[in-house]
Amino acid sequence: MITRRSFAGYGLFGALLAPRARGVPVSDSEILLGTSAAFSGPSRGLGIELYRGAQACFEEVNRQGGVFGRKIRLRTYDDGYQPDPSVKNTMTLMLEDDVFGLFGYVGTPTVTRVLPLLKKFQDRSILLFFPFTGAQPQREPPYGEFAFNLRASYRQETGGLVDNFVRVGRRRIAVFYQADAYGRSGWAGVRAALARHGERLAGEATYRRGTKFTSTMRRQVEILKAENPDAVICIGAYAACAAFARDAVDLGLTVPIANLSFVGSENLLKLLAGVREDSSRYTDLLVNSQVVPSYEETSIPAVREYRELMQRHDPSPPEELVTESYTAFAQSFVSLEGFLNAKLMTEVLRRLGPEPSREALEAAMFTVQDFDLGIGESVSFSSERRQGLQRVYYTVVRDNRFVTLTDWHERFAKT
Amino acid sequence: MTEQPKADEAGVILGPFRIRRLFQKTLFGVFGLFGFIGVATASLAVYTVDTQLTQEYVSNSRDIAKTIADSSVDILLNRDLAALQSLVDQFVEIQGIRYIYITDETGEFLAHTFVPGIPEEILASDTTDTATVERSLPGMGDFVEVGSPILAGFAGNVHVGMDTGLIALKIQRAIGQQIYLICAVFVVGVFAALWFVNLAARPIGELLTYAANLVQRGADAPEARVLERQDEAGQLARLFRLVAGGRRD
Repeated sequence: MITRRSFAGYGLFGALLAPRARGVPVSDSEILLGTSAAFSGPSRGLGIELYRGAQACFEEVNRQGGVFGRKIRLRTYDDGYQPDPSVKNTMTLMLEDDVFGLFGYVGTPTVTRVLPLLKKFQDRSILLFFPFTGAQPQREPPYGEFAFNLRASYRQETGGLVDNFVRVGRRRIAVFYQADAYGRSGWAGVRAALARHGERLAGEATYRRGTKFTSTMRRQVEILKAENPDAVICIGAYAACAAFARDAVDLGLTVPIANLSFVGSENLLKLLAGVREDSSRYTDLLVNSQVVPSYEETSIPAVREYRELMQRHDPSPPEELVTESYTAFAQSFVSLEGFLNAKLMTEVLRRLGPEPSREALEAAMFTVQDFDLGIGESVSFSSERRQGLQRVYYTVVRDNRFVTLTDWHERFAKT
Repeated sequence: MTEQPKADEAGVILGPFRIRRLFQKTLFGVFGLFGFIGVATASLAVYTVDTQLTQEYVSNSRDIAKTIADSSVDILLNRDLAALQSLVDQFVEIQGIRYIYITDETGEFLAHTFVPGIPEEILASDTTDTATVERSLPGMGDFVEVGSPILAGFAGNVHVGMDTGLIALKIQRAIGQQIYLICAVFVVGVFAALWFVNLAARPIGELLTYAANLVQRGADAPEARVLERQDEAGQLARLFRLVAGGRRD
């Protein structure tokens, strides 16, 4: 049975009560990791779900005694998916909280602005682990050496979507994207993938970061519809992408609408399901790329472990950060990614041994070779390879759930 | 024009003689002077603020465009376009800058800040041209657009759009403040003029009253306060009394 928890109404009361002790990166009793993510605003579902997945793993590790007796703790701040607060939070985490490492950041516009800080304070040897973004800046020089990624990149996600669309005869591909670094990263990925097939973008439309589901996307739909695309790839967050899918169907743009993993599939689906009773007309044409397998695939060992630990711990986001109502999902792609991030982080901390130091973290990461995370894809890292997973999964909506897409021709072939 | 004076039972004219025409002329003079000063000052202010602000904004926009162009070289040649967009997003937060777009050497758009899409007018323009142009974009407003080449244009061009509406707003504010000041000075000036006119008109009115009594009663005209004045009105009053056959002081 799906369990849900409502976190409404904690906000200010929790903030007043919660002490903010100055951190110690590694003590005899704990290892402190730092997070800045969206816990407020229209994209708060991403930060909350990623945190919940990670905490399900860390709470289990801590319950079993921690890593060499040290509990793994997360010092968490809200940036609302905005770059400036993210930079400020990171400064606090690095200079005041003195965290052992940065973990579980959310978003391209935020992470892109944080990366120069890692270089500036490189003498502190603080690295960024497994941010929830597939953008390139943390994967390549000059900042790639300060970050490790687990998930596949947006280039891989957009490249896979374009390849599959072209394969089923949909060559005129338009892009709807967030007007920032994240949107541009996805836009560039689609553009490059189309170029490999000798095609160009059929059209493009943008929206501002932070746009809510209640906003209209009619103008964007009209711009793209005028270009008569065979498919639209959305590079955005769930609120805006759901609004676009809603208005596209309402205005007769009935072509496949693809979303990247960052969108937050369950939140997208929840918004569209609330529009009207026959919500299938809004969701039948959706295809979402994912960077982790479906949480419904219980034949996968890590998925079984994730489901069990999510049910056992059912983690709540930090009370002091939850200022807006949010109903969490029992399982989601985002929390599964958070869980896998935490699982790998725990493994790396174990490899550091009983005397962990920040200076030894990078070398410990490089010892991860053909490591089995339990999802059927081994993970390796080296100085040239700073991304663990390469595989992209594709999902569609069936019975109001995202399930793995098995046949692109059957579902999306151009007639 | 003078008002008809009142007289008592013995026929002594009590006055007052009010000097309206002099008063009106003075007020009209004050109005006219302030009107001229107000219009002249406002016109000069509009011209000065408009010219200086436009020059300043265009100059700043050129600097920004050049800074982006210089910073873009490394990103365009070595890095992902997300980094380029991140750079652009930081600059568009500067007040007055409403849009930025970067094109490659062929004119293809590589990064921009337009929502919900690139305006038709800009799509139709020659994006390799970096000359300063004025644009009116439907739904967005009026802009001055400046450009700067990246690697002398071989790697592309940066264009920065500055909102001229903001300049108009600043001019409005400057003129508004000036109008407030002029109005305040005008009100003070009117009251000051009234006081001065009244001050100057009072002895003349007394002189007129005394002269009227002299005409009517000759040497029997009653003594008046104006005879004690040491100014021109007092001298005239004493002169009138002498002419009318009265006593010499």
